[in-house]
Amino acid sequence: MANIAAQRIKREFKEVIKSEEVAKCAIKVELVSDSYTELKGEIAGPPDTPYEGGNFVLEIKVPETYPFNPPKVRFLTKIWHPNISSVTGAICLDILKDQWAAAMTLRTVLLSLQALLSAAEPDDPQDAVVAKQYKDAPDMFRLTARHWTAAYAGGPYSNPEFDSKIRRLADMGIESHDARVALSSFNWDLERATEQLFS
Amino acid sequence: MGFDLARFQGTVDEELICSICSGVLEHPVQAPSCEHAFCSACINEWLSRQPTCPVDRTPITSSELQPVPRILKNLLARLTISCDNAHCGCTELMKLEVLSSHVDFCEHNPKRPVLCELGCGLVIPKDDLKEHNCVKELRAYVTTQEKKLSEFHDELIEQQITLSEVRRELSFVKEFLRAMRSSHPAMRAIAEQFEKDEVKRWANTLTKARVSRWGAMISTPDDVLQSLIKRSLSESGCPVHIMEELMRNCHERKWPAGLASLQTRQRQRREYDNYVCRRIPGKQAVLALACDNPHMAEDLMTEPGLVMIFALGIE
Repeated sequence: MANIAAQRIKREFKEVIKSEEVAKCAIKVELVSDSYTELKGEIAGPPDTPYEGGNFVLEIKVPETYPFNPPKVRFLTKIWHPNISSVTGAICLDILKDQWAAAMTLRTVLLSLQALLSAAEPDDPQDAVVAKQYKDAPDMFRLTARHWTAAYAGGPYSNPEFDSKIRRLADMGIESHDARVALSSFNWDLERATEQLFS
Repeated sequence: MGFDLARFQGTVDEELICSICSGVLEHPVQAPSCEHAFCSACINEWLSRQPTCPVDRTPITSSELQPVPRILKNLLARLTISCDNAHCGCTELMKLEVLSSHVDFCEHNPKRPVLCELGCGLVIPKDDLKEHNCVKELRAYVTTQEKKLSEFHDELIEQQITLSEVRRELSFVKEFLRAMRSSHPAMRAIAEQFEKDEVKRWANTLTKARVSRWGAMISTPDDVLQSLIKRSLSESGCPVHIMEELMRNCHERKWPAGLASLQTRQRQRREYDNYVCRRIPGKQAVLALACDNPHMAEDLMTEPGLVMIFALGIE
């Protein structure tokens, strides 16, 4: 790993650990390898959003050319959000692409991602299904996102109606995650989800 | 790239940190309008990818970067830093402003050039001394020299080929000129003028000489001496069309009446200092060219000139 990248990451690592956001448990960074090329980030779902109460784990890969190129970040925790792929966790955020600037740090990236959770950009989606729902059925979107937060990120708000629909499909031999994806994609219409799963 | 923060004594103000490398600013420069400061190497690397300030994305280019204010330079100069060679045992602490002059002479510098004392005479970085093997190094040196030599040799051969081609072309051109000359009187005049100019040009490249001992003149040079003089003439750039004639005029049997015999020579000795002579490079010999000596009496000069060889006494 290039000298400059290692020096930066070591310092940023300390910066995040000392920051007040860590004190408030809003963000967290851990080392995955000793070489500082791979890290694990964690952000708390922002209050007053469907993600409140959840903890979202991120994979952070630091390129050789850091900080001249942005780190590669994706969600490891499954999440229902217009700008994050519900399948791969890939993120659509300008500062992780062409709007990256060398003075940005792990801390600013994590805070930007947290901000993205509060303010989605449905017109620049990473997940078209979610984005469509966000625009056409905002209430359904909020419930679904909150349900995903409870299912994968340890969120406190479970939804008995959704849970029972998933159980119905699980009884038919469907993996509960596949059932959740299908139901979420069809605004929790059990019939259409079943049709799609068995077609 | 800036200096590692861990090398500094005490705390370093956040303002002195480069936001790209997160080290202490090295050769700092700043953006023109927003005045954000960076290490010169860091910001140039960034600008080669994206022409914006890395902090606030104001558009900037490398040529717009400015020196930082004196106060910032002074604050940096005052910081106390450990030596670059701390890992090699240097324990000195110094102000940042004297770091580079210290490192140049630091005895712990692993790259400090030292002379091998085993006799090969090579100067090598100190940290290579342990691995250093005189025979191996010298052999490598010989190999590279041999390679160079063979490259030069190849080049020489190529040059020689080119040269002989050029010579051949030149002789064709001369042949052509000769043919033109004999077929047309005007051409003949031009060619003669051309040859005269050539002789003058060549004469002017030779230095003037003074003969101090006219008595040391060799009036009957042997063939070996003649060929030595001839080679020297040819090397000095003597035009080919007069060379043979000039060389014929180096022997008393071809000299004009005023020089032809010992007797006449003794009689006319006083006149000789009036010759305008030119040195034949590297030889105890001079040229008295007709074009240099129109003032001399007819019996003391001949076309195109005289070659006079001496035992000594040419200045």
